[in-house]
Amino acid sequence: MLSRFISCGAHANHANFTNCLCSKFAESVKFVKFALKTRRGCHSIYCTYCLPFICLVSVLLGGCAQQDEFEQDQVGNFEALWTIMDEHYSFFDYKQVDWNEVYQLYRPLVSNEMTDRELFDICGDMLKELRDGHTNLIATHDVSRYWIWEQWPVNYDERIIDQHYLNFDYKMASGIKYQILTDNIGYLRYSSFSSGIGEGNLDLILSYLSTADGLIIDVRDNGGGLLTNVETLVSRFIQGKTLAGYICHKTGPDHNDLSEPYPYYFEPTKNHIHYLKPVVVLASRGSFSATNNFVSIMRSLDQVTVVGDTTGGGCGLPFTSELPNGWRVRFSSCPIMDAQERLTEFGVAPDVRVDMDEHDRTHDAILDTAIAILCGHAPAE
Amino acid sequence: MLSRFIPCWANANYANFMNCLFSIFAKLVKFVKFALKQVCACHSIYCTYCLPLLFCLLFSGFGAAGQERVSMFMVDMGYASVHDSYLTPITYDGLDLGLTYEAMRPVRHDKWLWQLQVGADYNYVENNAKNNELHKLMGDITFDMQRQWHGVFTPKLNLSVGPMTQLRAGIVYDAVNSNNPVTLRAHWNVGVTGMATMGTRISRLPITLRYQLQLPAAGVFFAPEYDESYYEIYLGNHRSLAHLGWWGNRFDMTNYLGADLHLGKTTLRIGYRSRLEHWTVNHLKVHDVTHSLVLGLNL
Repeated sequence: MLSRFISCGAHANHANFTNCLCSKFAESVKFVKFALKTRRGCHSIYCTYCLPFICLVSVLLGGCAQQDEFEQDQVGNFEALWTIMDEHYSFFDYKQVDWNEVYQLYRPLVSNEMTDRELFDICGDMLKELRDGHTNLIATHDVSRYWIWEQWPVNYDERIIDQHYLNFDYKMASGIKYQILTDNIGYLRYSSFSSGIGEGNLDLILSYLSTADGLIIDVRDNGGGLLTNVETLVSRFIQGKTLAGYICHKTGPDHNDLSEPYPYYFEPTKNHIHYLKPVVVLASRGSFSATNNFVSIMRSLDQVTVVGDTTGGGCGLPFTSELPNGWRVRFSSCPIMDAQERLTEFGVAPDVRVDMDEHDRTHDAILDTAIAILCGHAPAE
Repeated sequence: MLSRFIPCWANANYANFMNCLFSIFAKLVKFVKFALKQVCACHSIYCTYCLPLLFCLLFSGFGAAGQERVSMFMVDMGYASVHDSYLTPITYDGLDLGLTYEAMRPVRHDKWLWQLQVGADYNYVENNAKNNELHKLMGDITFDMQRQWHGVFTPKLNLSVGPMTQLRAGIVYDAVNSNNPVTLRAHWNVGVTGMATMGTRISRLPITLRYQLQLPAAGVFFAPEYDESYYEIYLGNHRSLAHLGWWGNRFDMTNYLGADLHLGKTTLRIGYRSRLEHWTVNHLKVHDVTHSLVLGLNL
């Protein structure tokens, strides 16, 4: 009997929800009257007072439940993906992507009869229109991606450095490989910003490298990680409060709903060792996301020169959302700008542009250039 | 000092979890005894006056000795539905578990009713695809003071209504999300609560039937902006985080319907509790619902 009073569709917003509640209240009053009228001579205290209470509670709370806006079928999942990106992706204008046009292009390709793999491929292709390394569709069988660095020279070969520069003799701590090279130049290799950096470990590393005339920080082929690790590392190379950049975020579903850029600063780590001699940062197209952020901040410091290739970019802090079928979608949501308030989505250009010679298996041209700069043999551009 | 009383929540199965619940209950009683003992040795104004007052409020029921009081621990178990558009556009549903302590007492010659509820609840909810889950952990404290009317319509029916205030806070966690893995929930609000109680008997068993509605009307609550990361908040951007809540942007409601079975000196409580939390601000939407069976035992 209750079921005739329990119904409520999807609620797109609060107004709909409150309307629903009002209508539920009216329905509940109606139902209580109905219940009282139909008790037909039952004069027990339960019927008189308890039944209306139970009805009121059940009817008020039975409806107005949250329901999802998208269907569970293939078209529904495609629509959900397109809508999520439409409402949350932050670089449409910057990249001059007409997302409605993209919809017109890909929507006709989707039907409810297609398989999951076919749908995944179409959705993945649609996301590639954004040219964004932070944008992925993640299913149990595959991850769609637009990894720009796969199409560019790698410009990094760990074996060449280990064998011909370090002679397989190096120290390792906190995910950092380090040693002093033969020209009395310190070498510090950090392969992933996902590796946590201990302040104590960093003290010992920089203490060991303090006798070197200069320091090379190699973040080539470093795909990024945690921005808090960027702060930990940068804080050892600054003397005072330093403008690191600006961050903003979407404030609503429209493409232009972006907040005012908020300036953020890094400060030197107190009571720890700092390195203030000349520094060269080695970068490549594989230096992506948090590494791109690290390079952009280090590049703004006076004693730092960036050598190698343009970084891979990825300046949008990625968020994750979800489709009705359980696939996850990751996308750039919060743009982070450099200290000059420029977006670095397509990378940070080096001060000195150098490529490795793919056929030379004994020399790293980028590392050689860095050593020359720190030894005073080659001026920084 | 508290750390020695905080139990481990990492349980592999429900049997372990239930054991853990009983262990929490035992430790809580132990903690109260310990705290009361510490009060005797501490002579600061806080320890001497505030702590006993707090425990008095919590466990003794607000004064006016000699009147009927309710002092009860309750366990909630049931269905939960969680929708938080900051984390996901999909509505998750699953299990609701809760632990609540309630103290209630009539004062001023039965004209007023004081009530305090302190509770914590945990929701383990899954998406429809069953490939991801959210964990929601909340704690709350609710206090109200209600004007009572006895013998309304019938000598056994009591009605009461009055103002209430509630502080509720916690987190919702999604282990899979990248830079939006968690969202903080916090609100303080004031509103009204109303209660109807009726004493009756089933056979020879005296029971008290009770319905209560808690309806916050206005307050303050926390919400980040639409796609604002907690990293940006960590960097120092605290703009637009606190919001005034009212029925135009926020609606909370808790309904309780149950019966207290008076078995000699022991009172067993069986009931149903439903909690609704709904708000929209900064284009974000939260809509959480629970429907739970309530089992309680007096202290």
